[in-house]
Amino acid sequence: MTLKEILEITWLSLLVSGFAIGLAMLAGLPATVVLYLKKFRGKRLIISLVNTGMGLPPVVVGLFVAILFWRTGPLGFLNMMYTPAAMVIAQFIIALPLVIGLSLAAFEQVDREILLQARALGATNRQTVFLLFKESRMGQLAAIIAAFGGVISEVGAVMMVGGNLKNYTRVLTTSIVQETRMGNFSSAIYLAIILLALSFLVNWFLTSLQQKGVSRWKGPSWK
Amino acid sequence: MERPQLEVKNLRFSCDGRKILDVTYFDLKKKECLVLFGPNGSGKSTFLRIISFLQQADSGEIYYQGEKAGKKNRLELSRKVVYLLQKPVFFKGTVKDNLLMGLKFRKIDSPQQKQRLERISELFALNSLLDRSPLELSGGERQRVHLARAFILEPEFLFLDEPFNGLDVQFWEEIIADFYRIRKASGVTTILVTHLRQEAAFLADRLAVMLKGEIVQTGSLEEVFSTPASPEISRLMGQETLVEGVVEDSNNGFLKISARGQTVYAFGHQKTGERVVLTFRPEEVVLALEKPSTSVRNWFHGQVYELRPFDRMILVSLNCGFKLKAYVSRTSVDELRLTLGKKIWAGIKASALAIRPGYQTADIKFGG
Repeated sequence: MTLKEILEITWLSLLVSGFAIGLAMLAGLPATVVLYLKKFRGKRLIISLVNTGMGLPPVVVGLFVAILFWRTGPLGFLNMMYTPAAMVIAQFIIALPLVIGLSLAAFEQVDREILLQARALGATNRQTVFLLFKESRMGQLAAIIAAFGGVISEVGAVMMVGGNLKNYTRVLTTSIVQETRMGNFSSAIYLAIILLALSFLVNWFLTSLQQKGVSRWKGPSWK
Repeated sequence: MERPQLEVKNLRFSCDGRKILDVTYFDLKKKECLVLFGPNGSGKSTFLRIISFLQQADSGEIYYQGEKAGKKNRLELSRKVVYLLQKPVFFKGTVKDNLLMGLKFRKIDSPQQKQRLERISELFALNSLLDRSPLELSGGERQRVHLARAFILEPEFLFLDEPFNGLDVQFWEEIIADFYRIRKASGVTTILVTHLRQEAAFLADRLAVMLKGEIVQTGSLEEVFSTPASPEISRLMGQETLVEGVVEDSNNGFLKISARGQTVYAFGHQKTGERVVLTFRPEEVVLALEKPSTSVRNWFHGQVYELRPFDRMILVSLNCGFKLKAYVSRTSVDELRLTLGKKIWAGIKASALAIRPGYQTADIKFGG
């Protein structure tokens, strides 16, 4: 395996998982705000479904996305099977409940009186929502860290809908499977180290963001 | 007659079929501090939240400075008001971040923010706390920041929901004095919710009593304390005597006060010429047929105009130039042969008198 190939695979892994997380945040965070702030019929059912979705097996997601985009499937005409786009969609479905569920849990940690006090000090709806995110920043970043960790290390769904096509849909996880199957353990180990390093770097960045400002309050500490 | 700054008409709110609020009429005059007094669960907080537009009523009309509140002008009107919750909750960040938050919500420009921050920090003695987290502060300091967060917005209306609840006596005395001074200087029209008589007596220009969601009596402090409209209100007000006076002499914390033609001695730090309100509880009063020679400094000669059973005691009301109330046992009533119209002496120790603080406010500048 050449360096160029490794770089391409690493880049695609980042791209697919990054897009999937980005889309999950775009769709999931507004949905979480609605779930948290609004009262409506069926809210509890939706939250239960989201919580169930947090444990969704990636192969099951892969199966449904494959059925959807299969040539004879309902969206077959889009010719998206075995493309990076299909992989993004599969990872998006895996990430979405993780983002909503963990983000909602982070919102629940915020004292509702804080939001009421903000309103009472003149905050508009938009400012209140912004404050809600600010107050739950730690939990929100934990949600993104968990969702990113979930999708970048996922292999079943991307293998099923991406097909592990060389120079097209091959990502780090599917390459590790491939190289191991072929007995190329050294390549597989290199790729595994890259995957771990990548995962560490992204998490380190997000954790730095999360912990920013935490040190402001110095006590109490355990000694 | 000056138009009320706030008028509320036929405001109704119920929850799960249970009536929470039923206010036929309520008004608030310019620059006054109206204390909304009532027991816990009487609907005071709900009322404040509704008139601050934080909660929706089932029906009713709210007028701010004659303008009827509706969907369209809600935000505009709500920004005339600052409502402080009972529990001081703080946003993440420093004391300074918390003080500036409301100004940022209202899009006040940076130079104004800086100017107001400096003034408020000075006024509430917060300069040394600005860069600390509110979590590190003591209860009294937190309450100070909580109040400062409202005053920095220079609102036209300030609604406070039991803001001094749960404080130590020392903190309570300090903060209530500061609040009184700063509120007077700012001239902000205020509603303060409390269930504490002492707080009401210290701060109220006018008192509204709320029971079971209804405003059952509104009037001056003396009116409500001395002539409660029902036995229920009477019980609630605690039968305290309340009398206004002027400090004639102040000597090392010992005051000589002239009140309704009587001279009253009390302990306090008020200055000569200052207007004060004295309060004392009926259980602190002793009655005698002749003025005795004792250590009790205050003796008032008055005529009995009411004798009423109250719990297991008899409530004796005297007219001594002001209305004074005393609890005595039935045996004492018999021994003193108390009857309506009889003249007797009422004594109260100087240390039993509580004094509502008066302040020189001319040296405080407020507003832009």
